[in-house]
Amino acid sequence: MGLAPGEHEQFYNGPLNDGLPSIVAAAHELKSPLALVRQLSLMLETGDLPLADQKRMLRQISLTSERALRLTSDLTRSVRLSDALFKLEPINPQQLCEDIVRELAPLFTAHNRDVKLVSRKHHLLLVANRDLLRRIIMNFSDNALHYTENDSAVEIKIVSLKSGNIIRLCVRDYGPALPIDTLKSLQGKLANCAPTPVHARPQSSGLGLYISSQFADAMNGRIGVTQHRDGATFYIDLQASQQLSLL
Amino acid sequence: MKTPKVLIVEDDEWLAEQHLRVLSLAGYEATIALHAIAAIQLIDDIHPDVIILDVLLTGNTAFALLHELQSYGDTGKIPIIICSNLASELSIDNLKPYGVKRILDKTTMEPDDVVAAVRNVLL
Repeated sequence: MGLAPGEHEQFYNGPLNDGLPSIVAAAHELKSPLALVRQLSLMLETGDLPLADQKRMLRQISLTSERALRLTSDLTRSVRLSDALFKLEPINPQQLCEDIVRELAPLFTAHNRDVKLVSRKHHLLLVANRDLLRRIIMNFSDNALHYTENDSAVEIKIVSLKSGNIIRLCVRDYGPALPIDTLKSLQGKLANCAPTPVHARPQSSGLGLYISSQFADAMNGRIGVTQHRDGATFYIDLQASQQLSLL
Repeated sequence: MKTPKVLIVEDDEWLAEQHLRVLSLAGYEATIALHAIAAIQLIDDIHPDVIILDVLLTGNTAFALLHELQSYGDTGKIPIIICSNLASELSIDNLKPYGVKRILDKTTMEPDDVVAAVRNVLL
């Protein structure tokens, strides 16, 4: 039975019936970074830490705040998706991913991890909205940062599929494999475009992925996940631009 | 007197580091496990006197780890302190059979609370 307008579904059941992501999911996602920032701030207030520790903690506060702000910005954007017309344009994904790698490098370095783009010989063009695609890849990368093992790299890769008609942007992490039930749940939820329940992905409500799937929908794209023995790949498939073939 | 060993099972690396910093300053020997699989290995290696455990972990949840610990006589006796954002949804009475002695709420705790909790369960 449907809910009355504005009535909120339970956290585990997904989005609000008016299409807004669950407020509880958002609150849950923001709890972790805020709790960390608070702990670090309280510790700094004691004032009797070595200078190197103080600097490191301040850096962690900045980077954690930036990640949390990215989520709030994505949330705002996702809520306004239906109101806005998004300009779809031919985009060079290589260039976009290079920018993202550059932007995320300090965060990854601070976590003793690396993020790198697997370069291609031949450049491709896809049709997307630059801002939304950027947010999706940033989101996948944030997710991968959490899952990848210490001292290893997250890889962003651009692949051409279906005789060049589809361009897939992949973000591969190397960490503990997702349990099979988690993977199935994730794949099901991604297919249904609903947020994953909080326990389906440990320590995450899946809100970031839900928002990414909304962004992908707005560009006629599709997101998905592939399980590996040593991690996972989150990807988005988008239509290739025919512009190059016209040259 | 032997320095008590504390195992911190926390997948947020920087929060784990924060707990380690506070516990080390208080004189404990603390070690970090970023996920449940690493925790099981470390429990065998270092035989911690107390475990600080987050609930939602990468890979398996804390509950899978609690079940695993209870499967063996020696590990089942290690006192557990749950430290979670979901503290308000957990009941100490329900978790006592799994060796849980304290529940800390990450969203409201003070940094020293983790030391107080460890001290308390080791009394």
